[in-house]
Amino acid sequence: MTQVLPHDCWRRVGASAALALISLSLGSPILAADEKAEARPLYNLQEAPESIRDLLAIQEALQRSLPRTRKATVGIDMGGGSGSGVIVSKEGMVLTAAHVSGGVGKKLTVIMEDGTKHKATSLGLVAETDAAMLKIDEKGSYPYVEIDKEERALMGDWVFALGHSGGFNKERGVGVRIGRIVRWADQTIQTDCNLIGGDSGGPLFDLKGRLIGIHSRVGASLEQNMHVPIRVFLRHWEKMEASEFIGEGPFAEKPVAFLGVGTEDREEGGVEVKVVGKETAAEEAGVKVGDAILEIDGNEVENKEKFSAGIKGLKPGTKVKLKILRDDEEIEIEVELGEK
Amino acid sequence: MKRSKSKLSWARSRLVVCGFALICAPLVQGQQLEARLRLSGSTTREAFEPLRGILQQCSAVVYDGWKSISFGVVITSDGYLVTKASEIEDAKELNVRVDKTHFKNVRVIATTVEWDVALLKVEARDLVTVEWDTDGEPDHGSWVVANGSTSRTRRRVRVGIISANAREVGGGKAPVVLGITLDTNKKAGTLSISGVEEDSGAADAGLEEGDLILSADEQEIGKIEDLQEILAGKEPGDHVKLRVKRDDEEMEFEVELRTREKIFEEERSRNDAMSGRYSKRRSNFKRILQHDVALSERSAGGPLLNLDGKCVGMNIARVNRCETFAIPAGEMPKIIEDLMPKTNDP
Repeated sequence: MTQVLPHDCWRRVGASAALALISLSLGSPILAADEKAEARPLYNLQEAPESIRDLLAIQEALQRSLPRTRKATVGIDMGGGSGSGVIVSKEGMVLTAAHVSGGVGKKLTVIMEDGTKHKATSLGLVAETDAAMLKIDEKGSYPYVEIDKEERALMGDWVFALGHSGGFNKERGVGVRIGRIVRWADQTIQTDCNLIGGDSGGPLFDLKGRLIGIHSRVGASLEQNMHVPIRVFLRHWEKMEASEFIGEGPFAEKPVAFLGVGTEDREEGGVEVKVVGKETAAEEAGVKVGDAILEIDGNEVENKEKFSAGIKGLKPGTKVKLKILRDDEEIEIEVELGEK
Repeated sequence: MKRSKSKLSWARSRLVVCGFALICAPLVQGQQLEARLRLSGSTTREAFEPLRGILQQCSAVVYDGWKSISFGVVITSDGYLVTKASEIEDAKELNVRVDKTHFKNVRVIATTVEWDVALLKVEARDLVTVEWDTDGEPDHGSWVVANGSTSRTRRRVRVGIISANAREVGGGKAPVVLGITLDTNKKAGTLSISGVEEDSGAADAGLEEGDLILSADEQEIGKIEDLQEILAGKEPGDHVKLRVKRDDEEMEFEVELRTREKIFEEERSRNDAMSGRYSKRRSNFKRILQHDVALSERSAGGPLLNLDGKCVGMNIARVNRCETFAIPAGEMPKIIEDLMPKTNDP
């Protein structure tokens, strides 16, 4: 089993992440500090704790929040990989990272801290910011956490991270780590709560146990732990709930349509089918080795590069008509494209 | 082989550092929390000053020559200390500092591979010892404090919290090994060797693939568990008398036991690659506390304090980027008792 937390993503995220971080410095929530000051606990008003008593106040707040938040924190088994998530409604709505859910309509298993497993299906995701939603299939009454809808958390606030580091482990249980918000951006929260593979998709809380972010990725330094702010979820909530795949990469890739044939160019034009993949759309529709594909949806097939690029440009589930030359006879076959 | 592998991983981590530098560069100063205010920043650490004072007196810094290789726990005023055994075993010029006092003469009295703890002795009279916590194991979310970086005269703290359930780790595997892998697929009662590890006691003794194991230390061996029972409680350097059958001939071998992590090379996982410097021995402990204090492989071995200044455990392994293990205080009296010279010894 591999745990997901894409280190490697950094290289791919590159430019887009840099842009996101610049733009965020404009809309910093620090400006709102004054009007929220009254409701804020002392440990978040102080520059830093000054005494053992201050530290005890942090410890007590954290320990009060732990039982509830641990119960709602789940492991997510994607089959061949594992991540974390958090339940945010009684009905079993789970927030996680897009690189954990991996797409829309995927079948997953959600594991509670006590080891109970539930089947779940992924709903929508935001591919640029690593936000995703899934729903436990079975109706029930699940433990859940409150979301910080007012976005009260500010830079410097004390926070804690929960997650199934390195995959679910019943003896160990959910792992908790403490830290502070080190940087706050529109699309990213950075903390010094140390994360590792398997934590991806897990929850970041303020000390009152309100959900403020979802773990996304890490850098090489221990202080580079990145979370998706809850506002990204709130902004896209309805679309995600409606199972929309929002935006393009780098945290999730749109499924690519797949026909399931290997072809070679024909001198006379079109492509000749050399291989038909097992259990593919092509096999199901009756495409055979030796067939010459001349047209797709009425458009002439020029060569194999253009042919496969054309297929990849379509959505899985699209029906295409292929004009095929078989045994000197032109036939037409309709294929419903599969998914790669 | 081991070396080249880890170099590769370091190169990979550096790549990630570069990626980060690029991304962080355009950030406006002031948008980040100053380093001094972060979890283990200098201002935050000031709140822990009373605990730093305790670490200053009752933790030890263990050096090999000039290089600090581990921390230790002062357990008696006359100079008995415990530290992490596997980090000091190759030391050539062992020396120790407690508070500001330098001890050049350090004796390794005893070690236990089961817990990876070594008992050291320095000539001292008035050392301040840790006060073991006897209130049971600390709960999730409790602050814990450990030795961070150190100068010759001043200890510093690193801080964190208890992170997970106290538990056994490593599934009860014996910490010492013969250096063989066994084929258990054959019919019951025929345990045969399917592999002999390089540089192991088994290889040196002359065991070969295909040898059928009959007995160990005169006890009949029918299944792997029988063998594990024999290995439990043994130390590296101990020998096991292995009787095997090879081509219808019975043969006997004296096999020297060696530590597991030296013989069976662990594969470096992706999580390891993002974890910096972790302990060589980081698994196979009967019971551990898990916390998130960011230690390195060289800063284990010292005390783990709670906010009352009591010692809740002894740091025994940096595991990865977010996990450090400590032996719970409740286990320590027995471990220390077993290591201490017996009073009726001559």
